[in-house]
Amino acid sequence: MAFWPKKKNHDRNRICDPAAIPYAEFHGVGLSIGSRKVLSGLTLSLKEDRVGVIGLNGSGKSTFVRMLNGLRQPDCGSLKLFGALAEAAAPELPRHVGFVFQNPDHQAIFPTVEEEIAFGLTQLGVARDESRKRALDFLTQHNCEALAPLPIAELSEGQKQLVCILSVLVMEPRLLVLDEPMTSLDALASRRIGDKLRSLPQKIVMVSHDLSHLEGFDRVLWLEDGGIRMDGAPFEVLPAFRADIDRRSGVKLELAAL
Amino acid sequence: MISMYLTGNSWLHRTPAGLKLLLVAVASLLLFQVTSPWVFLPCLTVVVGLYATLGREGLAQLKLLRGLTVFFGILLLLHWVSGTLLEGFAVILRLIVLVLAANLVSVTTRMDDMLEAVMPLFKPLEWFGYSARKPALGVALVLRFAPHMMQIFSRLREAYQSRSGSRNSWRLLPPLAIQCLRMSDNVADALRARGGSEGLSDR
Repeated sequence: MAFWPKKKNHDRNRICDPAAIPYAEFHGVGLSIGSRKVLSGLTLSLKEDRVGVIGLNGSGKSTFVRMLNGLRQPDCGSLKLFGALAEAAAPELPRHVGFVFQNPDHQAIFPTVEEEIAFGLTQLGVARDESRKRALDFLTQHNCEALAPLPIAELSEGQKQLVCILSVLVMEPRLLVLDEPMTSLDALASRRIGDKLRSLPQKIVMVSHDLSHLEGFDRVLWLEDGGIRMDGAPFEVLPAFRADIDRRSGVKLELAAL
Repeated sequence: MISMYLTGNSWLHRTPAGLKLLLVAVASLLLFQVTSPWVFLPCLTVVVGLYATLGREGLAQLKLLRGLTVFFGILLLLHWVSGTLLEGFAVILRLIVLVLAANLVSVTTRMDDMLEAVMPLFKPLEWFGYSARKPALGVALVLRFAPHMMQIFSRLREAYQSRSGSRNSWRLLPPLAIQCLRMSDNVADALRARGGSEGLSDR
């Protein structure tokens, strides 16, 4: 019956293998939004600890990384995440893949820091009092116990983004996906968040416009018009990307590229 | 109207959320039985006194009434036109007392405590297989994002003022609606990224 809700969650079987390497396998993956082809013909697999994603606005970066956490489903080709087909794995993926968004104001759901951190734990089924205690412990572990009672709206941009990252990390994901996490940060905050990320044991896939953050990464994907333009080590891809920007900005105003 | 949570540990913060909500509910039931404006004056004194126990930050909360003056003015005008001015004062005083009392609860209660307190109200949904967590989360989201929407509006207003010179226009409403819808899309994504409104528990 339509209005009788299905029984959810409780009888769901786990199908992902959190230790699977590669953790993501794209085979001929494409995705359209409306009539626009956002991604097409993607074939690659990810197994590195640190993967950077670069490209101009509209190149499909955000859509690409959203597929890693089940927020977007491919409409052609096959995508396997942690050994399971993406569509079937979608309900389980938030457990293994943490996602940090560009704008912390869109990510923080609760008014105070402690509640925001505890939310991830209650999502995993931890009882409320226990989750509150563990949230405090977790904040202390990361030297952020002073933030615990503060309203998120009153934090600095850097603190907000740090809280967003911690609120995802508390769920102990295998993979952390970040979509331009430094955009709203000043230079110092951006450096600090970068250092924090470097110290994490998680695998990381990060979209960034600030190429300096990707220098020490294992691999960089350069997306253009919904496909891979270049894929390799940062010392190969980053200079090529910079050169392309210089070339295109030097010629004449390309409206299409703004 | 819904203010941000005030950080602190006053006796009002320590009072259980359920009790505070219950008191406000009972008070509003009682106050709606009363029509004499003279009863409301002592009530008002008590509520303002409660704010005073929170210190200067508490008293600063009273500023929220400023946003309602136009509304009160219209109410009073309507009553004056229909020849029931005294009744109009009673209506407004009652509203002020209740708004202040409700606001007092929202600035001294953490949202997860508030959620816990309202959850039992949604409990009957579970008998039919629906999740009680969903509407409770909905309440939480409204409380969290109402101030943020005000912020979106003031940003739009600045953008409009910087190019038109005037502060307000009905023209701001469609972009406000669109931006709010967009924001809610983003929030929905963020919620989904952490397991959605149902949570990830296997139990």
